[in-house]
Amino acid sequence: MGTLTDIATIARWEVKKSFTMLGRDVLPFAIILFVLLVVVTAFAAQTGMHLQDGMYVVGVDDPQVADLLASDARFTVYSMDAPVLLKNQNAFDLIVVKGTVYSSATEKGKAAQKTLERDYSKYVNSIYNTENDLFAAYPLWIDTQSVKSELNFLATQSGQYISANPVRTAPVPEGEIKTIPTPSATLAISKEELRAGLVQSNAKNTQLSRYTETLAPSSPIGDFKTPSQLSPPLPFDSIILIFVFIFPLYFTSQFFMMSIMNERIERKGEILLSTPLRTSSIIIGKLLPYFFGMLAICTVLTFYIRASPLILLPLIPVIFFFLANALLIGMLSRSFKELSFISIFFSTVATCYLFFPSIFANVHVISLISPLTLIVLTIQGSAWTVTDYLYSTSLFWLTSAVLFYIAARNFKEERLFSEKKLFTRMREFLSEILSQKHPYVSLFLLSGFSIPFIFMAQMMCLVLFFNIPMPYSLVFLLLFAALIEEIAKSVGIYTMYARDPAFLTWKNLILGCAATAIGFLVGEKLLLFVTLAQISDSIFGSILFLSLGSLWLPLLLHFTCVAIVACFLKTWGKKGYAPGLVIAMVVHCLYNLYFILGWLL
Amino acid sequence: MKINHLTIIAKKEFRGLLNEKTILLAILLQLFIALFSSFLMVGLTSMYDPSSLSKYSHSRYSIGYVGNESQLLTNLKASPDFRVYEMDLSTAVAALGQRKLAAVIYVPDTRPDAQDPVKITLYSLQNDLQTAIVDVKLKEIFLKYEQELRNIRSDRLHEKVIELHIQKTSGGGDFFEFVYGLLIPLLVFMPAIIASALVIDLITEEYQHETLETLLSTPITFVEVVWGKVLACELIVPIQAGAWLLLLMLNGIAIKNAILILLQVLVSSLILILLATLTALHYRERTAAQFIFSTALVIVILFSLALPVNPLNLITRLAVGTAGMEQWLLLGGTMLVIFVLAYLTQWYAKRISKTHKTS
Repeated sequence: MGTLTDIATIARWEVKKSFTMLGRDVLPFAIILFVLLVVVTAFAAQTGMHLQDGMYVVGVDDPQVADLLASDARFTVYSMDAPVLLKNQNAFDLIVVKGTVYSSATEKGKAAQKTLERDYSKYVNSIYNTENDLFAAYPLWIDTQSVKSELNFLATQSGQYISANPVRTAPVPEGEIKTIPTPSATLAISKEELRAGLVQSNAKNTQLSRYTETLAPSSPIGDFKTPSQLSPPLPFDSIILIFVFIFPLYFTSQFFMMSIMNERIERKGEILLSTPLRTSSIIIGKLLPYFFGMLAICTVLTFYIRASPLILLPLIPVIFFFLANALLIGMLSRSFKELSFISIFFSTVATCYLFFPSIFANVHVISLISPLTLIVLTIQGSAWTVTDYLYSTSLFWLTSAVLFYIAARNFKEERLFSEKKLFTRMREFLSEILSQKHPYVSLFLLSGFSIPFIFMAQMMCLVLFFNIPMPYSLVFLLLFAALIEEIAKSVGIYTMYARDPAFLTWKNLILGCAATAIGFLVGEKLLLFVTLAQISDSIFGSILFLSLGSLWLPLLLHFTCVAIVACFLKTWGKKGYAPGLVIAMVVHCLYNLYFILGWLL
Repeated sequence: MKINHLTIIAKKEFRGLLNEKTILLAILLQLFIALFSSFLMVGLTSMYDPSSLSKYSHSRYSIGYVGNESQLLTNLKASPDFRVYEMDLSTAVAALGQRKLAAVIYVPDTRPDAQDPVKITLYSLQNDLQTAIVDVKLKEIFLKYEQELRNIRSDRLHEKVIELHIQKTSGGGDFFEFVYGLLIPLLVFMPAIIASALVIDLITEEYQHETLETLLSTPITFVEVVWGKVLACELIVPIQAGAWLLLLMLNGIAIKNAILILLQVLVSSLILILLATLTALHYRERTAAQFIFSTALVIVILFSLALPVNPLNLITRLAVGTAGMEQWLLLGGTMLVIFVLAYLTQWYAKRISKTHKTS
């Protein structure tokens, strides 16, 4: 009971402190700004965003066409006679003479023409929508039916085409054939409903969808679509909602971060630490108000958008993840500048990690690695299972738990008030969780628990290197995936060595490396094999998680690589760490290449 | 105000930035955002755009066709993307379920000139990447068929459409709007946002770490301290923005008027920095100042984007070479705002330094 009272007391202090701080004169300003924000948002929604106005210069000889083009602010339209236009063609990106469009041969000209094409088809649709005989204007309707794949989960979801070389004769399905009723030849919806749907989807063209023009918004009339509406569905509205949820979380975690930082300024937190309270109680107590605050904000938002409260379930691990990182960043950074940049960097990376997979919510199962996909699905009204939940949130639960543990072990005077460099501080933080008495157990656990972090880092690499043309992206991914793994594996040994260089006797070196390698292998097996088997099916995945194959080979690889770094450390001291890492990375890459491409065979 | 006092303060802040290597993190952050946004754009569009995709995949997809002879069947057979098999519905759907087909199309016997529309049924695999690609390729065929049907029924159409003949281009131009209309303004203005967040940290730090008194015991006055910090933050803006422009140009993206772009960024970033300075001077505490400023920043950016001619749009226009006289008007306008803000900052800093002396 005593612990609970302690936590409650700390939480009350925290709330009181932040309210007195906020109440002074932040609140009135915040309210004014909030009102302003609403006003400005409404204003911007009305006038639209003017980011790309006047990008293209267009010359037109027909006033009707000029009106049509001028409705798009991206065009600056000049009306002139045809001969004048043809003579000065080079001054324009596009000219329209006697109903024919001529674009200049530059990229800009082509882009202008694409824009014109889209505008024109929108215009044509707006005319056809009013047509009395709707089925003369829209003679073709498509009813889309999705079929569940009967093959095993892995094969179907990895987006590969199973059938071998296509054959001349029609493919014959195996096993029993279920009879499919012949679809009716008529539409089940009245003409006027269809018209309303068409008008609605044509009007949906906002400034935002400019970037996603190829991804048509989902049709409001169910499964019936005209050919131009037939595009992979992109849950655009839902993605905007996601930002509505993530930004408040980011802001609130900033307050938590600052509260931790403030304890450290001028040793203000010393009083708190000198009380008989346990550090875990202090941390939990300080954290609780922010956790409930975030949860309350999310709940309010959920009710505001009238979504199912199920949304909150995937949000909870995300909240913990943000808080755990805020806690650690608040404890690590030495100055406000550092705090700002680390926190902005972290939140950008985290938001990208959350945001990117959810784009594929309706396309590919890989999207489930982000909890946000579950939110998108909930908003769309699709169901998800407990397994889906575990699959997409397990990484967040695990990493938060590890980070909280590290923070709790380091929440004490000599760590909080030291003025050392960032990397030294990080090392000291790690050193704290590595036990002196049981070094091998610690190394084993450390490398095992580093897996989720490695996975997150490698996922981000995959996203980043996607930009680079194909062969190079693979090479970079190969190198960086190996480097990240090697850093994670060797960091334990390095910390041990930095704490006490005498620790690294040959016997300890071998045992330590073995403990690390086994820990890494166990972690990898447990986490990747259970949750992430689907991604390991693609070629990128095969680089990242190659070592899943047999047991002793990867173990040997892990051991060799850590041992290389450890030997470098032992021989040349800390200076040997970087070269050791490079060699280990090269060895790791060669191993991967040997298995992926069979280069050395 | 002495110039060399300002430079002393600015130098001190630069040293701090270099020491902590925070600036490295900031640059890494911008690089990350740039790469990520282009990943989003390029990756996504090339995934959904068959013309750019066809460069990678030359595979033909097997399609099951159920129904009688039609123009659609002829179009499908003529397409290089598909291999068409005429089958019965149940067999075809079963084959689709076993991934032996990429899609199944059912076409009823509706006559092309009938009163009713032709309603075809498209069966495809659920939650599948390949389906997304096949759908995009099928869309072209369906659009062609729609136009053919529309032509047959054209005598029933009454509204007049302005006719435009648009020639097919040889691809390209896909990412022009993204690069010039979003990426460049974003990258060039990001240093300004970072600099304004930085000035808040620099000012509030002196208060919260109680280092201000030591600083003021030197001949440097409080007003000079403030302006020195503003100077330091303002100087890192063109350095970063210039580096971005250079990097983009090295990547083969032609940017016109680079100097004018830098000038515009330099001037408009000063507005943000001065706003941040005023906020920091008012609150003298990081949490509150950053919170209020970042909210204000959203408002300022949203508001300026809603105006027809705004700094971000001007960057786009300058980069593609369509900016005219309006750039000088805008420059004049921003200068005016800066003078007001600078005057306010000067007045506020002086007032604060008086209270410092009395206390």
